[in-house]
Amino acid sequence: MALITRKHILKPPAPAAPGVAISVQSLTKRFGDFTAVGGVSFEVGTGEIFGFLGPNGSGKTTTIRMLCGTIAPSSGGARVLGLDVAAEAEAVRARIGYMSQKFSLFEDLTVDENLRFYGGVYGLDGSRFTARRAHILKMADLIGRENELTENLSVGWKQRLALGCATIHEPELVFLDEPTSGVDPLARKDFWELLYELAASGVTLFVTTHYMDEAANCSRLAFIYRGDIVAIGTPDELRSREMRDRIFEVEVADTEAVLAALENDADVREVYMSGALLHVNMGEADGAAALLDVALARAGAAGAHASRVEPSIEDVFVHLVTREQRERSVI
Amino acid sequence: MRAALRRVIAITRKEFIHIRRDPRTLMSVLLMPVIQLLLFSYAISFDVGNVPTVILDQDRTTASREYLAAFEHSEFFRVVDHIESDTEADNAFDTSQAKVALIIRPGFADAIAEGHKAEVAILIDGSEPNSAQLGRAYAVALSSTEDRHVLVSWAENQGLDMSAVGGLSPQIRTWYNPDRRSADFLIPGLMVVIIMIVTIQQTAVSLVKERDQGTFEQLTVSPIRRAELMVGKVLPWVLLAFVETAVIVAVGVLLFGVPLRGSVLALALGSVLFVFSSLAIGLLISVRASSVEVANMAGLLISFLPGFMLSGFAFPLESIPPALQFISYLFPGRYMMVIARSVFLKGADVATVLPQLIALGLYTLVSLTIASLAYSRRLS
Ligand SMILES: Nc1ncnc2c1ncn2[C@@H]1O[C@H](COP(=O)(O)OP(=O)(O)O)[C@@H](O)[C@H]1O
Ligand SMILES: [Mg+2]
Repeated sequence: MALITRKHILKPPAPAAPGVAISVQSLTKRFGDFTAVGGVSFEVGTGEIFGFLGPNGSGKTTTIRMLCGTIAPSSGGARVLGLDVAAEAEAVRARIGYMSQKFSLFEDLTVDENLRFYGGVYGLDGSRFTARRAHILKMADLIGRENELTENLSVGWKQRLALGCATIHEPELVFLDEPTSGVDPLARKDFWELLYELAASGVTLFVTTHYMDEAANCSRLAFIYRGDIVAIGTPDELRSREMRDRIFEVEVADTEAVLAALENDADVREVYMSGALLHVNMGEADGAAALLDVALARAGAAGAHASRVEPSIEDVFVHLVTREQRERSVI
Repeated sequence: MRAALRRVIAITRKEFIHIRRDPRTLMSVLLMPVIQLLLFSYAISFDVGNVPTVILDQDRTTASREYLAAFEHSEFFRVVDHIESDTEADNAFDTSQAKVALIIRPGFADAIAEGHKAEVAILIDGSEPNSAQLGRAYAVALSSTEDRHVLVSWAENQGLDMSAVGGLSPQIRTWYNPDRRSADFLIPGLMVVIIMIVTIQQTAVSLVKERDQGTFEQLTVSPIRRAELMVGKVLPWVLLAFVETAVIVAVGVLLFGVPLRGSVLALALGSVLFVFSSLAIGLLISVRASSVEVANMAGLLISFLPGFMLSGFAFPLESIPPALQFISYLFPGRYMMVIARSVFLKGADVATVLPQLIALGLYTLVSLTIASLAYSRRLS
């Protein structure tokens, strides 16, 4: 008992509360006088699929790099799997998996050679490698293509192989940095199936994305904007807590002209494209539907079909980003 | 430790696959040196012999006449005329009557008598392609006609302007090549140049390629340490450089009959140090280069020019401007050049070339340290 106590004195506690995979305190990264990540704090529970959302350049990759121990924080800190990312980076790296948007496969190596390489990097011995290889080939649907050059694989296959390579050592926690960028919707869906399987087996996933439809797949989400976390919670929480505004979906012929007109309309809070349709945020005002009809008439789209919809994650996201932009421009 | 070794092996094996899958690299690494070797050596050895020559003896002593007699009997030079002045040499070049002028200035005999090294000037028709190469080959042949140390100074007569030639500083050099064969002289030098080019360039490129591909980022998140990655990636090139050294030596000895008179151990020791020092340069390039193309160009420039010009291969180092001489110490070629030529031609053993081995060893130590520091700083 005494021994344990002394240990605690020598080394500040690592009491990752049971079930906490990542715990981040005021994590900050500055490049010169530019602050890429401005003191973010959050926790990720074991087994979660934690979505990290933000526009390009908002600091997602920089945050992941600090959590993986590849760059040192300017201030603040984080514990990953109970380890300090700055002081115990090497131990962290042995226990996590990482998949970047570039897939990180060697294109001039075959499927098998890529697996063998990563197996060697993570020090898998013969029998464990054989088992993992078989598992990954099956998971990635690559059986029969072991000797194909990676450059000849379709993007979807590459993506699954990259996931296999990143998880060959069965990490407890996997960071995925925009793993689905540039992949067609069908392959993206398949890929998320694989992520669900991983999560179901107890692996914690930390996923960044800018695809809003994928955000709904996550068990919890954080929105990061210009280095700050502006909202965090489950998708449902975010929709109900952050969003009391009324959202309408509008179908018009000349979307661009109407979009431009509505953007300058005083009654319209936010307007943006969502797929082929316009999404219009009318704020919390009562009688929003009537106001919108008038606004549409002013925009030259009288009688256009508008229907109120439940706010999607994308609506929340646009709302939060617009709010941030507004607040920051006031300052 | 075993885990580290396993990681290094994983990387090295991967590198070998890259090399195997890229026929262009493989070609340039394995075949080009041999082709270069053949081209260079044949081109040079064909050209030497029966070269029309004029002689100007301003010393007019027994010593100078003795020296010139030996020279006239050589099979390399065909003496076409004895001339009286520098202007006549100019004319001889102008009319293509001669390609070489051999000039003994007053004081030749006195210098020898006083035990100093005497000087002989050779002017070479610079309009001839490859004249620099030829000039060196002539100088080799010339010195070997006299069984004593003769200091040779030669100059290229570029514009056939004698006053300009006179402005060139004399070069002081003792040559060894008793068989008067230029291949003997060239092949050890070529070995040095080729190893330097291949090692520097390939190291630089292979490290930058990893960074370019984005796979590097993946590796920084893996348990691989920077040092392991570096060792694993350069190991194949170290091995290939050794294979290449062996191939060039074998081709030289078997095909060209170059004698390997000295200690193989000395040559091997020198080669190991030399390969590692070249590698350090490649590493430094890779740290600074922003892309594969830049690394390729920088690798070429930094290996080719110093390889040929500042190693003593194309020009004796004593003949180049002092500033360049100083720069030549910054490249490993010059140390290895002495080792290679001494071992091949002079029969040197480890003790003989110990100063060069120590210099090369220090160079390797310093350059590898600088490169490793720069490398790890770049990554963090
Ligand atoms: N090494 C670096 N040096 C300077 N600025 C950087 C560096 N890395 C990232 N940044 C900047 O930090 C900001 C956040 O980048 P990043 O984390 O890559 O954003 P995201 O992944 O969300 O697109 C960007 O403005 C980017 O230009
Ligand atoms: Mg990014």
